[in-house]
Amino acid sequence: MPAPLHLDHPEHHGGHACLWVALLPLALFSALAWGVLHHELPWQGEVAWVPSLGVSLAFRIDGLSAQMLALITGIGTLVFVYASGYLAHEARRGRLLGVLLLFMLAMIGAVTADNLIVLFLFWELTSLSSFLLVGFKHDDAHARASARQALLVTMGGGLALLGGFVLLARMAGTWSLSGVQAAAPAIMHDPLLPLAVVLVMIGAFTKSAQFPFHFWLPNAMSAPTPVSAYLHSATMVKLGIYLLARFDASFNDLPLWESTLITVGTITAVWGAVLALRERDLKRILARTTVSALGTLTLLIGLSTPGAGLAVAAFLFAHALYKAPLFMVAGNIDHATGTRSIDHLMGLRHAMPWTAAVAILAGLSMAGLPLSFGFVAKDVMAVAKAEAELFALASYALVLVNAIAVAVAGVAAIRVFWGPPEWPRGKVHEAHWTMLAPPLLIVLLGLEFELIPNVANPLLLAAAQSISPALGQVDLQATHDLATLLSTSGIAVGIGLLLFVFWDHLHEVLHRQHWLDRYGPAALYEALLHGLARLAAWHTRAIQHGGLTGYLRLMLAALLAMGSFGWLLTVPALQLEWQWAPQGWAWLAACVLIATGALAAVSLRDRLAVLMASGLIGYGSAVLFLFAGAPDLAFTQFMVETALVVVAASLLPQFVGAAPSPARRRWRATDLALAVAAGLGCFVLLTQLAGLTPDTQLADWFAANSLPEGRGRNVVNVIIVDFRALDTLGEIAVVAFSLLAAMPLLAGLRGDRQP
Amino acid sequence: MTPRSALLAFAARPLYWLLLAAALWILLRGHNEPGGGFIGGLVAVAASSLVAIALDTAAARRLQPLAPLPLAMLGVGLAMLSGLAGAATGAPYLTHLWTAWGVSTVMLFDAGVFLAVWGALTGYVYALLADNGQAAQ
Amino acid sequence: MELMLAITISITVAAGVLLVLSGELFRLVIGLAMLGSTVNLVVFMTARPASLTPPVIAPGVATLPADAVNALPQALVLTAIVIGFALLCFSLVLAAWLARRQRHADVDRLRTTEPAASDAVKPPILED
Repeated sequence: MPAPLHLDHPEHHGGHACLWVALLPLALFSALAWGVLHHELPWQGEVAWVPSLGVSLAFRIDGLSAQMLALITGIGTLVFVYASGYLAHEARRGRLLGVLLLFMLAMIGAVTADNLIVLFLFWELTSLSSFLLVGFKHDDAHARASARQALLVTMGGGLALLGGFVLLARMAGTWSLSGVQAAAPAIMHDPLLPLAVVLVMIGAFTKSAQFPFHFWLPNAMSAPTPVSAYLHSATMVKLGIYLLARFDASFNDLPLWESTLITVGTITAVWGAVLALRERDLKRILARTTVSALGTLTLLIGLSTPGAGLAVAAFLFAHALYKAPLFMVAGNIDHATGTRSIDHLMGLRHAMPWTAAVAILAGLSMAGLPLSFGFVAKDVMAVAKAEAELFALASYALVLVNAIAVAVAGVAAIRVFWGPPEWPRGKVHEAHWTMLAPPLLIVLLGLEFELIPNVANPLLLAAAQSISPALGQVDLQATHDLATLLSTSGIAVGIGLLLFVFWDHLHEVLHRQHWLDRYGPAALYEALLHGLARLAAWHTRAIQHGGLTGYLRLMLAALLAMGSFGWLLTVPALQLEWQWAPQGWAWLAACVLIATGALAAVSLRDRLAVLMASGLIGYGSAVLFLFAGAPDLAFTQFMVETALVVVAASLLPQFVGAAPSPARRRWRATDLALAVAAGLGCFVLLTQLAGLTPDTQLADWFAANSLPEGRGRNVVNVIIVDFRALDTLGEIAVVAFSLLAAMPLLAGLRGDRQP
Repeated sequence: MTPRSALLAFAARPLYWLLLAAALWILLRGHNEPGGGFIGGLVAVAASSLVAIALDTAAARRLQPLAPLPLAMLGVGLAMLSGLAGAATGAPYLTHLWTAWGVSTVMLFDAGVFLAVWGALTGYVYALLADNGQAAQ
Repeated sequence: MELMLAITISITVAAGVLLVLSGELFRLVIGLAMLGSTVNLVVFMTARPASLTPPVIAPGVATLPADAVNALPQALVLTAIVIGFALLCFSLVLAAWLARRQRHADVDRLRTTEPAASDAVKPPILED
């Protein structure tokens, strides 16, 4: 049954309102084309940015960068044209186009950067703009969740990437990308290299949606179609591939690098392709095959033969040239009918002939059939795989992947457009020219590359040589040889046709596998996200419970733990000596006073008694000061202690009696343990302190300069009022202002006495 | 603090002046011998507290040149001002100067410390003693 | 002698911690004051006060006696005593004010600004 039509879509008047925006990528593309024709690659430039850290705005454009730039600006131009039509009735199109432009500039920066930090910054900027674009329909909860998922996965990978970059830079001694590449042979046996390589690979895998990080890409299809065509098929998801290709020449000798890329690439290719069969949404089907194609690219990079570089470059290009138009086709259908479900789409060829033509041409390329650039790419890939003596399993897997690609091409190009028309005549209209010309141009470009390979060859060869420097001068020629065709593509096409015919049955079978939804990496992601929130809630309740004594216990325990850790790192020393000086008896008396006061304060129940006991500590300290050459201190302490008893005693009636709550008894043992631990910790600290050699530099200076500079004979006083006068000023200010702060409280205490 | 001792009430004022004189003496000699603004200020607090306990806080307030909070602020202000003289000659702030007769900005600074301590702490003592007296009634 | 002092200080620290954790406002403040006093003692101890000679230059002499005690920790502790006393006064007044307003002196029941432990202010799980 047909879904309701979007009849509120009027004709596309003013669809080209934002067409001029496409001029910017067009200008960049023209500049690039002119540059490639007139100047030898690579081009480089550098502007100092943070010289002290070795970070500079360094850019370098070689063959690989140039190929990526051609995709970014070339497809970018057409995507902007397409967007001007697609978004003609979108009120917030200015915002979308603005972020899209930002994304384009970030992409350009990322593929040209020759400094790891600069590359990382642009890399993260692409993730950020992708987040904004996926969440463009922010009133839709699903779009928000998808945007957050894309952001968390790619940014999490970005963190890993940063870690890898830092390690690489430390090993190579430079932040320069080409510098790291040059230093690669030297650091090949560094024990940290595997870690750095794994981190970089995680970053690339999240960006390029490799298993097990692939799940964000189909969900990112919540974005408007121009975004899907541009970011999530042609450019951004290729950034991870770009990075892997960039480092491939350096790390290809590493077994870890090679085996991981081949394994992950194969799994991603197969898994993405199989999951495509579970989808009914045209865009999501295409997204699944994009995941599959990215897996194939990763696998190709993992191959160490020289031909692999060429295969990567060719397939990278071919994929962008057929996948972006297919997305635009899906967008046109969505725009015209209001649905993307293949169950409701059939026989659209009469209503949308131009879209159907685009779909067929792009589908041809996707299937890797002759007369398309995809055919050339598949051919080169076959050569590369033959060179590399791939595991048999991976080879079979790739045949399956190709077969499913054929089937999906069939669904997108034939199933939707052929068959009996399901839509009433006249209700569905062909899209505006701004939405037809771009995909048509792109697929025609693909055809032209196939028929006149001389145009594409230089660019692809330059890119391939950046990936595999060992590659000689190879010609990119489609071998229209029936035997090769049959052996490589033939089987795949055959299986693909079978899959296409039995698509609905397969879909039913796969759709019933609900465990796939429950246990996949996507489910793990959801579980982690919810777990994190639950952990935060639990942790907030457990630690920030509002019980002040609990806070104190926690802080004290943490302090003691840190202190013990520090103690473990030092050499234990018991340096205190037992020398009995003449004033020893006075010290003994002082210590007995202090200790008695302390123990009495803890054990007495009456508050006044506690106060008096604490006074003993002060008087004991005063005695100690008196017999340790500090008469000033002794006198001050005597006065303060007396005043304290006066003040505290007059405040005592305010503290109305409250027996310790029952909860307190539970904590008694803990508190006692903490107190003993604190006492022991203090003791250890003091013994350690005594072991240090005192630095008398300051004391000697003050002693020597007190009389000549400060004109005072009491060194303590001269320090207070002259040498450290600013400190003292601050301290008396605190003393005075404490009274100011206490004034309102004192007024409150004096107020209504017995409420 | 009731009932108040008659003897203490009688001796309070003379003792106050005696203690205050001692406080000033401690303040003045502090630069060359043990003593100084902090200790002198604390002795002055003791003197004022004595009067406040023996008679009442009003009497103690009357014997002080200023109310506690203004006194404390005056002390901080004096200490701050004492640094300006040195700064005016181009030296860093709080560089002290001496004149021929032994009068110096150091003296001014120490007096500021004295007044700040005296004012701030008597402020607490008066407020709390007054409160306590009320509570006893 | 230093060992004796170290043991005394450690006992005082333990007692101060116990008072602070006692959960009663008045004891909490007294405990804080005790911990403050021990810090003063620790700083003072770093001067290795083995002699009885204060750091005062005798009249008519130009230099300190050789065995005079280090003056710097004394200056630090002197100001610390006074400032500590002022802040102790403030803490006592604040604690008294709180105890009077709440009509109890239980530290753990001072939670007017905290949500209840069972409060649902903090979301249990992420929505949407």
